[in-house]
Amino acid sequence: MSVDGVDVTGVDREALVRPIKTFSTRYVAALAVALGLIGVWLFFYSRQLRHGLIVTNLADWGSGGGVPWGLYIGAFIWWVGIAHGGIILSAAVRLLGMDTYQPVARLAELLTIAALTCAGTFILIHVGRPDRLVTSVLPAWPTRVQWSPLMWDVTIITAYFVLTATYLALTIRYDVNRLRDRLPNRLEPLYAALTVGYTEKEDEVVERMVWWIAFAIIIMAPLLLHGGVIPWLFSLLPSMAGWAGGVQGPSFLSIALTSAVAGIIIVAAAFRYAYGWEELIPRAVFQGLAKWLGFFSLIFLWLQLQQVITGIFAAPTTLQHATEVKISTPLYWVAIGLVVLAMLYAFATALRPDLFDLRALVGISVGVLFGTLSEKVLFVVEGLQHAHFALYDGVPGQYVPSAVEVSAVFGTIGVVALFFLVVSKVIPVVELHAIEDHEEVDT
Amino acid sequence: MSALAPLPALLAAVAALAPAAWPAVPLSAEYTLPFVGPGTYLIFGIVLAPVYAMVAAWFLGDPSDRFAGLLGVGYLAGLTTVLWGSLFVATLIIGAVFF
Repeated sequence: MSVDGVDVTGVDREALVRPIKTFSTRYVAALAVALGLIGVWLFFYSRQLRHGLIVTNLADWGSGGGVPWGLYIGAFIWWVGIAHGGIILSAAVRLLGMDTYQPVARLAELLTIAALTCAGTFILIHVGRPDRLVTSVLPAWPTRVQWSPLMWDVTIITAYFVLTATYLALTIRYDVNRLRDRLPNRLEPLYAALTVGYTEKEDEVVERMVWWIAFAIIIMAPLLLHGGVIPWLFSLLPSMAGWAGGVQGPSFLSIALTSAVAGIIIVAAAFRYAYGWEELIPRAVFQGLAKWLGFFSLIFLWLQLQQVITGIFAAPTTLQHATEVKISTPLYWVAIGLVVLAMLYAFATALRPDLFDLRALVGISVGVLFGTLSEKVLFVVEGLQHAHFALYDGVPGQYVPSAVEVSAVFGTIGVVALFFLVVSKVIPVVELHAIEDHEEVDT
Repeated sequence: MSALAPLPALLAAVAALAPAAWPAVPLSAEYTLPFVGPGTYLIFGIVLAPVYAMVAAWFLGDPSDRFAGLLGVGYLAGLTTVLWGSLFVATLIIGAVFF
């Protein structure tokens, strides 16, 4: 699925550091919006800290139809999914030589770090008192990790975050060293720390080390994390008909990859628009990403089809019931419709390139993100509502996300935006390798 | 809240006061799992295997460099420590300020 004719080696270094060197009213406006989203969320979160999870509709079994997991956990999976795809794209550039996507590789890595932080944040706010992560999790970890899927999750999210950050820390040395004269002097201590002990002799060695990180990530992220430990949080529970079963691994992965490509498209398009990077991130990159979006959407839809057909044809009673509820939920079809639209658009533009429009692709990507989040929240909530046991059938009410929970989703989107706004002022968000041939050695 | 709720605490207090000669009264059945479980094989055997391969490859093979390898391991260990260390510090602060 490569795209021919992407060669950005003609772009000069000045374009690369443009985000660092410029400061515009648009930047301030974006900063204000991001901080505003975070501010609204912090207001609601402070109420949650004061009164407890009762201010959400997730307090315990006794409210919201017996659903103690809802939007918080749905958003957690969604952010982890976005995080998984980001670094996979970057690793694929390095391992499989998909050089077309080199201009957006670091943006994808950064998206992974930001999205993973947000995923962790949802766990942090869902445990109630934030210090429980340390007081409950850390002392129990040595024994519980041998048994508990929740502890597996904490372990691999940590490992994944550390791997991604290490990947970035090692690759940035090359760029910072060569662009030092174009970077702001006031951040000198930071750059000195980032390039500690740097010599040009290490380039070859670090390149090989980073190849191995990419190798570890490309196996772990899709097969063992978002196709493994994350779905195992649900699929290992036979008491929840809508959750149990081996299809959840591939299904989770397909949703993750679909949402991640959508996320990369939005972030890359935003930078292209903000900094006039038409040459640095050419149209062909987005045309290639659109094809991947279409392909992953197809896999997503295929796995949904598998679940629906096996769930309604001659399924065990509780699975049949859970599936019937799923396909009679309008929001589910909204989610599916948005993904179908993305797939059709991607394939149409592949056949007829003149139909391609970047703004349309960004709009469709936003739709995909909304669709994947909706699907994940429905999966969590309906899985709980239609369990094998009828213990909570008498619980009054129905789960509806509260303002507190919804504000957290927008707040974390604000966190990701803020992260990009800040980081793009500090380090080059496009690799120097993108604009120079690998053989080219200059200092 | 049943009337029996204070019972375990009361029993524990009585047991603590009792002379050592008394037979120990079990307050509840101990329920523990063996240390090694499915997660032991799954997480440390399978999921983290690519990481072991990666770290091994940093030091073995060509070209490799001791400083760069240690820098990589330093990042892995350092970032893990910073991540959980900062949560630990936050916990201490919460404990001091609010409780």
